[in-house]
Amino acid sequence: MLLPESIQSLITALERLPGIGPKSASRLAFYLLRASEDVAQDLSVALANLKANTAFCQECFNITEAGRERCEVCESPKRDGAVVCVVEEALDVLALERTGGYQGKYHVLQGVLSPIEGIGPDDLKIKELVARVANGEIKEVILATNPSMEGDATALYLQTQLKQYGVHVTRLARGLPMGGDLEYADQNTLLRALSGRQEMS
Amino acid sequence: MYLKHLSLTNFRSLTRLDVEFPRRNAPQKAGGVVVLVGSNAQGKTSVLEAIYFLAAFTSFQTHVDRQMVNFHEAKNPLAVTRLAADYQRGRSKHHLEARLILEPTGVNGQRLRKEILLDGVKRHISDVIGHFNAVIFVPQMSQIVEGGPDERRRYLNLALAQAVPSYARVLSEYNQALSQRNALLKALNEKGVGLNMSKGTGGQLEVWDDALARLGSQIILWRIEAVQQIERLASRVHHELTRGTEVLRLAYEPAYDPTKPEIQLGLKLDTVIDRSSFELDEIQSGFLEKLKKVRNEEIARGVTTIGPHRDELRFIVNKVDLGAYGSRGQMRTTLLALKLAEVEWMKERTGEWPVILLDEVMAELDLQRRADLLKYVGESEQVLLTTTDLNLFTPEFVQHAEIWKVQAGVVNKSM
Repeated sequence: MLLPESIQSLITALERLPGIGPKSASRLAFYLLRASEDVAQDLSVALANLKANTAFCQECFNITEAGRERCEVCESPKRDGAVVCVVEEALDVLALERTGGYQGKYHVLQGVLSPIEGIGPDDLKIKELVARVANGEIKEVILATNPSMEGDATALYLQTQLKQYGVHVTRLARGLPMGGDLEYADQNTLLRALSGRQEMS
Repeated sequence: MYLKHLSLTNFRSLTRLDVEFPRRNAPQKAGGVVVLVGSNAQGKTSVLEAIYFLAAFTSFQTHVDRQMVNFHEAKNPLAVTRLAADYQRGRSKHHLEARLILEPTGVNGQRLRKEILLDGVKRHISDVIGHFNAVIFVPQMSQIVEGGPDERRRYLNLALAQAVPSYARVLSEYNQALSQRNALLKALNEKGVGLNMSKGTGGQLEVWDDALARLGSQIILWRIEAVQQIERLASRVHHELTRGTEVLRLAYEPAYDPTKPEIQLGLKLDTVIDRSSFELDEIQSGFLEKLKKVRNEEIARGVTTIGPHRDELRFIVNKVDLGAYGSRGQMRTTLLALKLAEVEWMKERTGEWPVILLDEVMAELDLQRRADLLKYVGESEQVLLTTTDLNLFTPEFVQHAEIWKVQAGVVNKSM
């Protein structure tokens, strides 16, 4: 049986999404077909607004609402402009914000250095970070890229780029997770935790 | 360490195999020996290959994992090969399972997925490798001596991964850093940076130099140490096998050599350099320094030219390089010494006997060496041998061994 063009095109569109295979895609499409008009309507409006109503903050390159020059964090007078936390993706900002323990500002790189994928410094928001630091207001840069090989490489690259401005550069600590069990930690993490041990005072 | 039970499903010609293994009887110093007898192409080697796979998670036969999936099974849209073993390590029992799953992708493609479970828990290969140890000796391993340098690096990697806990992980990270760096060198080359250094590399290359040197120096250090220990054991065995007429040396030649160039030049070719005094920091900083020196050349060629991925290992008998001038007999003796040394080395490093797998080795050896081999392996905990002809073994040896008959993919113990 051939599906009507409109259903088939929805299935194909859904299949392109990460984590969704052909089966999930057709299940979702048929669910939307059967569900009330509102469900499909809400989804289509949300999708249409997604691109139209979002923009990047011109200061930290986090995602923000369209029409705003700067995001909420950058505009907030309560945030400490002397500390900047550098992360890979906007989702990382969300994770750090959830902790409620960070009062500085952010800088979203929108990726990491990866020559294999052809991503170099010019493809990331590195120039913009350097410009922010060069302004002189920033006293500390916290490098919070992921503890992967590419994340580490990007952090090292940023460190060399920022050296000349005399800014304090730090890297997130790595080691054991809270509530974790030594026995179940993988060797790599345990080794890092061991070499990064701290004096008790 | 010894195997208690092996269960195979759709592994090569062995569609179904379930066998219990005998263990060595410690007080009597006997047992734990299994001889697989059968004509050619019956599946003897496949049993050894399967056991070795559980130690190295790769085959010694092929670089293509899908070849291990049963030929008929692989025609199904979804094909599964399962290897499972119960074994005793020290005082604890473990269950190790490997699954090779051929899944359909897209229109007519198939993708192979490896799943490794230790005691029922899914694990990453680099976390499990070394948990079950085996040393294998097959005739085609003469490639280690006469083949290209990549064969010898593969040999070193497989042995080290089993005995040095983080080796597999560091090696895979090194390879990741290497491919990133190569991609960057190529990109820089295309941009013409190599011709005009004033443009600079923008500081990107330094970042990957750093990763390469950090991981690479660790690998070099481990290899220096391992080759030295294996050499000590191998040359002793070799000395005995050749009745003292030949001296075997292993020359590890790292592509980045921490030895000072003036020392290297002062020595004759085929001299084995002792590098055991090098510290990790020293190798790392030297490696980094060297990468800076060859930078222009590397950009021009678009590849990383130094580092453990280009290391070489040479076998030198009586000051002659075996790879170039060795006779077949010499190569065989050397390999035998190397493998027996590997067994002993692994036992020293891990405190456990590896399971020894010997494929058709008797036919290639003369009487005296056969006896020597059986004497050596007789001391271990568990040995599996394959042969086409039981007469190659001494009657006493056969008497103490379990004889399994392998025919058309079926193993028959009642003989």
